[in-house]
Amino acid sequence: MIQPQTYLNVADNSGARELMCIRIIGASNRRYAHIGDVIVAVIKEAIPNTPLERSEVIRAVIVRTCKELKRNNGTIIRYDDNAAVVIDQEGNPKGTRVFGAIPRELRQLNFTKIVSLAPEVL
Amino acid sequence: KFAVGKEAEDGFLSNVSEDTDEMFDDLFNKYGKVVFRSTDVKSPTAEVDDDAESLAFAVELAKVASDVKAGDIKVLFVKPLVYWTRFFIIATAFSRPQIDAIGSRMRDLAEKKYGKVANGDVKPNSWTLLDFGDVVIHLFLPPQRTFYNLEDFYGNAMQIELPFEDQSQPRN
Repeated sequence: MIQPQTYLNVADNSGARELMCIRIIGASNRRYAHIGDVIVAVIKEAIPNTPLERSEVIRAVIVRTCKELKRNNGTIIRYDDNAAVVIDQEGNPKGTRVFGAIPRELRQLNFTKIVSLAPEVL
Repeated sequence: KFAVGKEAEDGFLSNVSEDTDEMFDDLFNKYGKVVFRSTDVKSPTAEVDDDAESLAFAVELAKVASDVKAGDIKVLFVKPLVYWTRFFIIATAFSRPQIDAIGSRMRDLAEKKYGKVANGDVKPNSWTLLDFGDVVIHLFLPPQRTFYNLEDFYGNAMQIELPFEDQSQPRN
């Protein structure tokens, strides 16, 4: 359950470290974003000497949430943190590698690029 | 010695009233270590057949890419590394119209000959991805190819030799 003002970790090597959600892309007045949703976020903390800077506005895909993700077979996946991967307007990731475990639902949502850069797919 | 799902379950149910330790000992003696096995696991032969079918499909798609003059085509067998697909095709195209041409030709072939429809990018992109389920195709522009460096990330994957590769005109 990500909403505007939520802070998220960054799960890639794009150079951003922490994001704050400022808008959820989709319907107007949408309250919460879940895994696989695209958000507009602002970079709150960045690694020095990288292309991305603090207070830049970017798009990101949510890849991990503390709110549990339910599957049809009864499995429930819940992560320790809220994390997102920075993407550009075309949907290409800004980083070249993704860290941590990624749920396979991202592939059905057409984020196969992120899945193919990830070390582990749940 | 392995038990097949249904049989094992029946044994499990009929023994419920007995002492559990004894029950498990019985089951263990009867079936060996695996007491329950999910029924959707494919037999090894079916798995090999599927692999061969995907391989034929992948090689054909790679041939399409080479017909449209894509550079540096690599077919990787990534099934041992990731569970979600079998083959990767990585190719470089030198312009967006070329990416579009390769992508639409691959889609046409897959739909006509194999009845598969691709997920992934519809518009040509600097990294265009076509997802046919068992075969995933990555078409890059040269800068993006070096930037993402996918073949390094999947360095342990086995590379499939392509029958049509002509070394006469290397493009670098």
